[in-house]
Amino acid sequence: MTFISLQFLVFFMVVTLWFFRLKNQNGRIWLLLIASCYFYMSFIPEYILILGGTIIVDYFAGIQIERSEVGNRKFWLVLSIIANIGALAVFKYYNFFIDNIHSGFLFFGKPLQLPLLKMALPIGLSFHTFQALSYTIEVYRRKQSAERNFVVYALYVMFYPQLVAGPIERPQNVLPQLKEFRPYEWENVKEGLARMLWGFFKKAVIADRLAMVVERTFGHTSEASSAALFIGAVFYSFQIYCDFSGYSDIALGAAKVMNISLMENFKQPYLSGSLSEFWTRWHVSLSSWFRDYLYIPLGGNRKGEWRRRLNILIVFLLSGLWHGANWTFIIWGLLHGLFVMILVGNTSPLAGRNSVIIRFFRIIMNFLLVTFLWIFFRAENLQNAWIYIKSIFALRGGANFITLSPAEFIFSILIVAVMLLRERYLPGHIISKNNRFWTYLVSMLIICYYFGVFVENQFIYFQF
Amino acid sequence: MFKKTASYFFILSGLIILWLSTSRAAMKYITDKRDNDEWYGTYQCMHGDLTSMCYLDIVRRFNPPVVMAPLKKPAIPGPRNISLYLHGDSYMYCSRTRRLNDSVFAGVGNYYFIDRNHGMNYHLDSSKKNILLIEVSERYLRAYFSGLQILDEVCDSVVRKKTIALCNNDFNNQIIYSSIIPGFHVNDLFNKYINQNLQCNLFNYNFIMPLFESKAALNYYVFNRASGDVVISADKNFLFLKETVSLTDGGSSYVQIKSDDVIRLVNNFNVIYDHYRQNGFSEVYLSIIPNSATIMQPKGYNNLIPQIQNDQNLKMKIIDVYDSFRKSTVLLYQPGDTHWNNYGKQLWLDLVNEKLLMETSH
Repeated sequence: MTFISLQFLVFFMVVTLWFFRLKNQNGRIWLLLIASCYFYMSFIPEYILILGGTIIVDYFAGIQIERSEVGNRKFWLVLSIIANIGALAVFKYYNFFIDNIHSGFLFFGKPLQLPLLKMALPIGLSFHTFQALSYTIEVYRRKQSAERNFVVYALYVMFYPQLVAGPIERPQNVLPQLKEFRPYEWENVKEGLARMLWGFFKKAVIADRLAMVVERTFGHTSEASSAALFIGAVFYSFQIYCDFSGYSDIALGAAKVMNISLMENFKQPYLSGSLSEFWTRWHVSLSSWFRDYLYIPLGGNRKGEWRRRLNILIVFLLSGLWHGANWTFIIWGLLHGLFVMILVGNTSPLAGRNSVIIRFFRIIMNFLLVTFLWIFFRAENLQNAWIYIKSIFALRGGANFITLSPAEFIFSILIVAVMLLRERYLPGHIISKNNRFWTYLVSMLIICYYFGVFVENQFIYFQF
Repeated sequence: MFKKTASYFFILSGLIILWLSTSRAAMKYITDKRDNDEWYGTYQCMHGDLTSMCYLDIVRRFNPPVVMAPLKKPAIPGPRNISLYLHGDSYMYCSRTRRLNDSVFAGVGNYYFIDRNHGMNYHLDSSKKNILLIEVSERYLRAYFSGLQILDEVCDSVVRKKTIALCNNDFNNQIIYSSIIPGFHVNDLFNKYINQNLQCNLFNYNFIMPLFESKAALNYYVFNRASGDVVISADKNFLFLKETVSLTDGGSSYVQIKSDDVIRLVNNFNVIYDHYRQNGFSEVYLSIIPNSATIMQPKGYNNLIPQIQNDQNLKMKIIDVYDSFRKSTVLLYQPGDTHWNNYGKQLWLDLVNEKLLMETSH
């Protein structure tokens, strides 16, 4: 059940209305948990067993960590980490690991055949394992008390708006909200619905339209002209942003309607003047997770400059691996790490000069760098990524794979510009006057219907 | 009070519509009831399945007058000593509900059509020459023949149990649905067609069609493309099903074919051939119907059909539609439909009858 589907719209309507008809929080929690199970099972029903298994382990681990003495606390934490990372290792990385062993043996002329796992990756596995880990780590650090109510804990991991693609939440933010009975608030409903519509617009009108160009250029790289490939790469930058931030908008909006505030995941990342700044604005819940649970425990910036740079590299390398079991993601993460490592702390000739023109120049340069790195993220393999980059710089002619008519191409650029301006100058979603809200609602519905590209494309980040 | 009543109304309506759209029995009942109603009936465009899918009934170039060339009876009817078992798909239909009948085949005494979606338990007539003709459209070729499910679906009624035990494929592993309430199945809860069913129940009514047609017209006249799962050909004269021209779909004419894929398909065809020959069929023919994009827009074609048909290891006899279609100067496909027109169908029949007449004389 993707957010851009009739099934989700009907599901959301039923769950939300029912939620507000219930007069006690216990009933609401049960309703949300059952609804979240149905939501998750609508992808592949059997995979709920994997999720259920890790929830049970983490629930008991949390209680035991709180109860135990120093030595045992660590044991239960390690058990929880092994259960979660183990699930990731088996279902996400096992085949990748075995494939590489096969390639290694083949390289030395000794073919080897180890068994491969014949199952698809459970949807959103990386997201909910990281969210579960943040709970046990916070309990271990004594910053969060262990949750005794199993249903509340299960809902913390499974809350359907953020179950399959984040934001990766922290227990301190979500658990109190799940336990507190909050009455119906029309202002929150308006804000949530307005945000959801903005997410639908970004996904259906922008991301899926740009995808038509991107699929073509990345699918037939060797035949396309350099200009077409460059446009394809730039369009991919906006496609992935509108796709993922559109998902986050729908998730945050759906939660807001039910009076639950989730953490912001995007802060206009393409307006960043440097790569370090980009990572404080892109997928904030993941970068802050890596900061809190990996970078700082590794020593952060407390152990000297070179150690700091090494820590940065490790974090980005693992961030790349988190995104997928493919060398393209690993190289993407490594390159981000290398650029941040090199650029951090280095003073450029433009440093300290903050005129509008210099800021604009920095934003453009940073956007081009991010776009260049996205090529590794999008390509099927490293060879394709390399061919794509080489072909852009070859400045060659070839097939014009824009695939859109001139009118639709111009329209695509215009809607991207509108989206950037809207998020820059009107970032909020609160519409206090009712008549304005209804006008906005109806207008957005008409725009999404007439200009939306409804092709049942999954959200890109669902695969992680 | 009003808000309370309204919210209960919407909760109940939502649950009912979700249930209706998941239950196969309910959906069948609804579509049967609605099918032919003018006002609330399901939208059925008469100019082709693709124009219907993308609501471009208004564009004349996709809706030329229907080819009214009736199918010819064979010039030489032959001695009628063949039992023909035709395993096929929608290409074998004359209209939405009517299939090809035995009058168009030469030398055929008994004729059995085996719908690929339903299968058949056959009982061969030893007094006749039993011929199995497997017709498959190109877009289903890889999906269907990557496995051997045909062996389970088309079985000798006497040795059926034995055959199932021998066949190792996913068909045996399908979940047996358990019915808790009549017409409701547990696995329907996660019905993968729920969105199509919801669209059918919520919006797919003749009286709402102007809304869909206006969006389709906007896309066509402003952005020069079709909506949804349909794309316009490079020369702008045809509609193609998206899955037949995408760069990733297994049914596409342009998706890259690995040599392993061809080897696996040929091996499967050989297993199928040996199986049915051992079970009493005199001959097994294969006829692959090209996607309309393969013939009408050949640039970039992945050559799947010739790679299979020309494989030296293939045992199955071929009725080569691809080559004949490629050389034809007549329009063989309907511009707004996935299927061929009557000229295409007649050309195929002529090729089939040529082989059948050869069989009658052997």
